[in-house]
Amino acid sequence: MMGELLFLIPMLPLCGALIIMFAGGRMSRKLLAAVASFSVIASALTILWLWPLAAPQTRVSLFDWFEAGALRVPVEILFSPLSAAMALMVTGVSALIHLYAASYLHNDPDVRRFFALFNLFVFAMLIIVLADNLLLLFLGWEGVGFCSYALIGYWYRNPGFAAAGRKAFLVTRAADVLFVIALLWLFRLTGSLSIATINQQATSLPAGTLTIVALLLLAGACGKSAQLPFSSWLPDAMAGPTPVSALIHAATMVTAGVYLLCRLFPLISLSPTALAVIGLVGTATAFYGASCALVQRDIKRLLAYSTISQVGYMFLAVGAGTVTGAMFHLITHAFFKALLFMVAGAVIHLAAGEQDLFRLGQLQKRAPLLFWLLLAGALALAGMPLTAGVFSKDAILVACFALNSPWWTGLGVVGLITAFLTALYALRLVYLLAADRDVTIGHGPVPRGMIWPLLPLGLLALVGGQLNLPEVWGGGTALQRWLQTPSGGVGTHAVEWGLAIVTLLLFVAAWLGVRYRFRAVPMPPGGGVAAFFTDGWKIDALVRNAVSKPYEATGRLLDGFPERWYTAVLPDWLGRLCQSAGRYFRTFTSGYVTHYLSGMAWGTFLLLAILLIGLLR
Amino acid sequence: MIVPLGHVLLFAGLLFVAGLAAVLLRRNLIMILIGVEIMLNAVGLVLVGASAYWRHPSGQLFALLLMAVAAAEISIALALVVYLKRSRGTIDVNRFDGMKG
Repeated sequence: MMGELLFLIPMLPLCGALIIMFAGGRMSRKLLAAVASFSVIASALTILWLWPLAAPQTRVSLFDWFEAGALRVPVEILFSPLSAAMALMVTGVSALIHLYAASYLHNDPDVRRFFALFNLFVFAMLIIVLADNLLLLFLGWEGVGFCSYALIGYWYRNPGFAAAGRKAFLVTRAADVLFVIALLWLFRLTGSLSIATINQQATSLPAGTLTIVALLLLAGACGKSAQLPFSSWLPDAMAGPTPVSALIHAATMVTAGVYLLCRLFPLISLSPTALAVIGLVGTATAFYGASCALVQRDIKRLLAYSTISQVGYMFLAVGAGTVTGAMFHLITHAFFKALLFMVAGAVIHLAAGEQDLFRLGQLQKRAPLLFWLLLAGALALAGMPLTAGVFSKDAILVACFALNSPWWTGLGVVGLITAFLTALYALRLVYLLAADRDVTIGHGPVPRGMIWPLLPLGLLALVGGQLNLPEVWGGGTALQRWLQTPSGGVGTHAVEWGLAIVTLLLFVAAWLGVRYRFRAVPMPPGGGVAAFFTDGWKIDALVRNAVSKPYEATGRLLDGFPERWYTAVLPDWLGRLCQSAGRYFRTFTSGYVTHYLSGMAWGTFLLLAILLIGLLR
Repeated sequence: MIVPLGHVLLFAGLLFVAGLAAVLLRRNLIMILIGVEIMLNAVGLVLVGASAYWRHPSGQLFALLLMAVAAAEISIALALVVYLKRSRGTIDVNRFDGMKG
């Protein structure tokens, strides 16, 4: 009986969204925020209350969504250690961001739409996390896609922001088509859409098919998680309000791709080719994102590229076979990246909407607490030893090196280089925000409601590594024991120590480098190379030239011959034929009764004559 | 039967053609209606003649029915003629071409 209560977890945010949608018109601003926040907090508390159900993997089916032939789609959720941990992270971080958003949007006129979509997003995300059926998961998958689209274009009166929302929608939809193909193919192969059944039957599938299906799933995950080559929508998605960037485009939705691969890991792990490709995509994206983040001038775009890069690490972890490592990094990343985004929101608030890093500064004098929070997040991102980020990142790299093959060692080395770049841009962010220069003064101090939700995240960013402290550090790997998921190859302690020392050296080198470069008042980067990286390796231009322009040219070509012929020329002829035929036939109808009667008489004669001839024969 | 059936049919045929000629050639609406009546009577004559020839009463019954229907029809048609005369001022069929396409 307790099992049915699990449906409360996604239903509470849905109820919040429905209440705000249908009854929100009469509510005050504070009540709206309270309803939205409370529904998410209640959901998080429900997860904690029902936590004992996770260890024995509770599976509950509420009703059949639809049934057609062999296809049966039950609304069924699986409360396993993996989904419980993810759901707790999602609701916990969401609750803090909801509280933050209540202060952040304190003078926005349309706050009701914001909170309705925000709660709807949490509902859809929890459906992804808890669903035990790929089609139900896909419902949530498209739900978060829609909410992301609507919230990126939240200030839709600005055409640029609305276009950013459309871009995010279209790019992720393009990847979703591949995901749907994989989904239908899996149904064809196994006769079921249940994740558990698919994972069980995966071993009996032919290897070639398995690889293609896994790659299609990877493409779907890449779209949602902004991995190459679908990465270009995420930097533009920063057009939305900052809480949206923190919740959807840093902590939760963009990690849905990683989570999907983790859930389907038993299937994917059967194909070494697919794992190698996943690792390659992850590493390439991690390096790409870090290199772009190095030169960004817009604080939110910097964090967006950083998110792309960090999610790349999670893909690398899945590729290297450590689901635990991916989940560990996913969780710590959610803590410190949500923190960084919300600090960025507060900084932008302080500077009256200014987002250019080279016009911001003096943070440690104007808001010391905010500066310390920024430092906590940035150090976790940069990989300072003993913060949360470094343990999860090292776990991934150890798994790479432990595989003992040239391919994975190479990817691990690129991962290390990326870690160095990450430290560089994270510290650059801190130094630029602390730079001593004239800055625009904004709307007064940061509201207290925007600060205190950051405190738990700041703490978690520093000590979140305790969740899965490796044995080498005397930890108990609590997350690993809870999740019971594959954790890849086991590295020797020498490798782990070596890696820890290398990371420390990289961090110190990056710190010295940034300190030297930004000691004086720094100047913005210039030149063609910087522009190349600022525009994200010109991926947008590449897509425009490789996809949009050929598409438009084909369209124009088709418009010239077949379309115009079928829609204009041919109908024109037919119309004229009918017209002239009508003009001829209308002369028959003179309007005189006598003519009609004689027509009738002649017709009768004709019929009689035919009958007569027939008789005579 | 004193009169042979062939004579009856021939006479009825002539009567029918005469009625049809009146319908097709005359322009006066009343003359057209008279032509229609003549055609109906030609048909009635055939029915009666055939009834007498086969010694079967159904033909005569049909003829009676025909007379009743013809009476009803002509009364409505004449009412229409009166209406047309009043509203249009004429009963010349060539003046009515409202159905011209």
